[in-house]
Amino acid sequence: MISATRIKRQSAIRLFAQEYSESNLTEQGIGEYDPSFVITKLGIKVNRALFCGVIDRLEKREGDNGPSFNGQLRDPTGVNRFNVASFQPELQVEMEELFARFESGDRFLMAIVGKSRWFEGDEGGIFTSFRVEEFAVINQESYMNWLIETSDATLRRLNFYELSLGVDINKESLISSGLPPDLIDGTLLARQHYSNADTENYRLGILKALSSASGRSVEDSDDSIQDKEDIVENIANNQTDVNPADIILDTIRNHDTGTGVEYDKLVESCTLSGISRESAEDCIEDLRDVQGDIIEPRFGFFRLLDQ
Amino acid sequence: MTIGNKYGIQIIAVKQECPEADENEISEEFRRYEEEFLIPPEDALRSVIRKFQLASGKQVSTPSSPQKIEKKVTHFSELGSDDKNVTMEVAVISYTPRMQMVRGEEKQIAFGWIEDNPWEETSKRERWDFKDWGQHSANLLPNSIVRLEGVSVNEWNDKKSININRSSRVTILSEGDSNIIKSINEPLEISELVKNEGFGSTVGRIISIKPDVIVKKDGTGTLDIFRGRIADSTGSVGFLSWVPFDFESGNLVKMENISIRKFRDTPEINISNDAKIELYIDNSFPQIEDLVHTTKSNISELRNGMRDISITVQIDSWNQRKFTSEDGSEKIVRSGDIIDPSGRCRLTAWCDFNPVKGDFVELSGSRVQFWQGSPDLVIDDLNQVKNLTNPPWEAINTENHWVDVDLDDLVNGGSRRGIKTSGNIISIRADSGIIHRCPECRRVLRDDSCTEHGTVQGKEDLRLRFVLDNGISNASLLLSKEPSEELLSSKFEEIKEQISISGKDHFLSSLRNMLFSQKVEVQGRALVDNQGTMILAEKLSISNHDLSKEANKIMEKWGVVL
Repeated sequence: MISATRIKRQSAIRLFAQEYSESNLTEQGIGEYDPSFVITKLGIKVNRALFCGVIDRLEKREGDNGPSFNGQLRDPTGVNRFNVASFQPELQVEMEELFARFESGDRFLMAIVGKSRWFEGDEGGIFTSFRVEEFAVINQESYMNWLIETSDATLRRLNFYELSLGVDINKESLISSGLPPDLIDGTLLARQHYSNADTENYRLGILKALSSASGRSVEDSDDSIQDKEDIVENIANNQTDVNPADIILDTIRNHDTGTGVEYDKLVESCTLSGISRESAEDCIEDLRDVQGDIIEPRFGFFRLLDQ
Repeated sequence: MTIGNKYGIQIIAVKQECPEADENEISEEFRRYEEEFLIPPEDALRSVIRKFQLASGKQVSTPSSPQKIEKKVTHFSELGSDDKNVTMEVAVISYTPRMQMVRGEEKQIAFGWIEDNPWEETSKRERWDFKDWGQHSANLLPNSIVRLEGVSVNEWNDKKSININRSSRVTILSEGDSNIIKSINEPLEISELVKNEGFGSTVGRIISIKPDVIVKKDGTGTLDIFRGRIADSTGSVGFLSWVPFDFESGNLVKMENISIRKFRDTPEINISNDAKIELYIDNSFPQIEDLVHTTKSNISELRNGMRDISITVQIDSWNQRKFTSEDGSEKIVRSGDIIDPSGRCRLTAWCDFNPVKGDFVELSGSRVQFWQGSPDLVIDDLNQVKNLTNPPWEAINTENHWVDVDLDDLVNGGSRRGIKTSGNIISIRADSGIIHRCPECRRVLRDDSCTEHGTVQGKEDLRLRFVLDNGISNASLLLSKEPSEELLSSKFEEIKEQISISGKDHFLSSLRNMLFSQKVEVQGRALVDNQGTMILAEKLSISNHDLSKEANKIMEKWGVVL
């Protein structure tokens, strides 16, 4: 069927930072007005999103054409980056006000509607972000509402993602298996590109969100308290030493109980020592692929090679 | 000192990074993150450290994107080991895909050889290795000549190679393979066929057919045509044949190379000389008696341009008025509101039809016309009406007849009145507030000028415009003066005064603080066309529900246990 349908407004996807930041598949529109998308592992094509969280970072840059702002919102699963460009004068006045509040040490909850954008590292790594369209400071009740709605939307995607695992990866099979129209194209692309998504990890994020929203607290297990103490110890030990490779090797050495140490933990140890996420990630890759000091026997878990 | 504090461990970590920070302040910050922003202390650690680093004026590394300047070359020899964003034309010699673990994920990458100077003979070229990190396999077939944009140079052990990244663009300049032509001869079910305009094929049973005559617009005579309807188990669609049509009602046919066009908002099959229609044999295909029900409608299904509609409705109001037609004769038009369980619309009768409120009637052969963006039913002859003594449903209370429609269903359906739906406000349009309308035609003025009537003295009015969005579907949302006043709990004059005192930006910002990201319920009517959906709301209210109940509902729905 040959058809020409007009491009309609893209809906604002509800998703947590974790799902968005783990995405590295993108689709650039070909025509001038074609939308561009970030496609998540759970198979939703994101051109526009509604995301919320506590302001975690806000920086202002003075450019030739006026100021621009970069920031991060933190939700229970991670951070989303956002940007207000100098060519968006309609947002500048209120951003300035927020920037002043942030600089004075104030922190607050925000809701942002933004369009997907991304940067690429030299070796194909994708860093996802949003260009702000509209924003507001919100209260805790609104935030909780968003947590609940976004949990619902993410669980819906998880449900259909898991359904799609038993289905051939082609459009007809996905349609007849009952996948809703908004997930078909994205699922097709995601299943061809990503290895299987760690659905348990997404569920954990949702549980954190839902328990925050319903007023129940997630109990800290003894295990994680122990972890934090270790991290503190690490900081103490490595304060003068900022070589990421040493930190990564030390972290694995101190924490590996036989099952390996999680990727996020390695990155966290590095960032706590003032090393950027990018260089931490590069270093992990270098140690694994080039130096051969560490191995990744199971997805996302690292061990020392000589152990 | 930090012993006994519930954030003791985190405070130590912060102190190590920011020794001069005050412990009570650190503790207070963790409490705020936990209680106000719902971030547990272990997750808030980095945020709090950064906050105190910023407070102490310590420079913190910032995420930055390197400035990229394009470098255009024709020979590999012009490239340095750290050139990025390179543009050049190359010949692809080989392309070998393989799987590799990249950042804990199995990814398909590929390597191979490329040669520079691709338009010259091989002896004048240099050959380099390349790696494709961006799955450009479709554009990097061996023996093709391509332009690479945004690629970078990689040097390892004194040997340079090219990295083709995900953001790189690969354009084929010389390529032999033929493109795959999409088949339009694969028959589609009717419900699929009518989704898009264009060419297609289908198999269906003819359920009505009759000759018709069209008067040419230029007055040069008439055209003989055929009109009919074809159905399968998924639905039915009208067709119009511009060529003689030799099939009859009940025939099962395959139609190939037919065009699907919209007459107003209703898809219709057009059959011209290029189309091929033949009898089709399938003994299991539903018989005509089983297919007729697909032509029976309810109000929510009405679309502009529909004909031959059978429908049962309840009369809600009825009026008649006289007017003088163009030829000077006096005519009477009767019309009123009708409802069914799926919604509300208007009925116009060009015949002596005088029902009373509460009557149930069955209409046949009625047609749909658009009036102010909404579909209205029209009957021309009293024979089209049958009074029902046995009501098919309990009389609907018309005072508050709002049909709950999911936003997804609303935007995928047709224009409807009397609906109620919900979603979140994700945009407050900058033209919300006081507007000026043309006193002649009520159009909104731009720079005191009406597109129809030129410069006029505008009449002030109040209007709010939003975007309603539920994460899957969206619609623009319009509130006229009365519902706006109700939402803002103040009268037009007060709102006008407030805007003139504190400015339009302040007004918009207060609207945003009140509504942005909020879930709302609206009732009113929806206009749906190929530009999208617009809801004219008669009432907008912010949903308030019990958060923990809502959370439980969702956990139950998806089988999640805390």
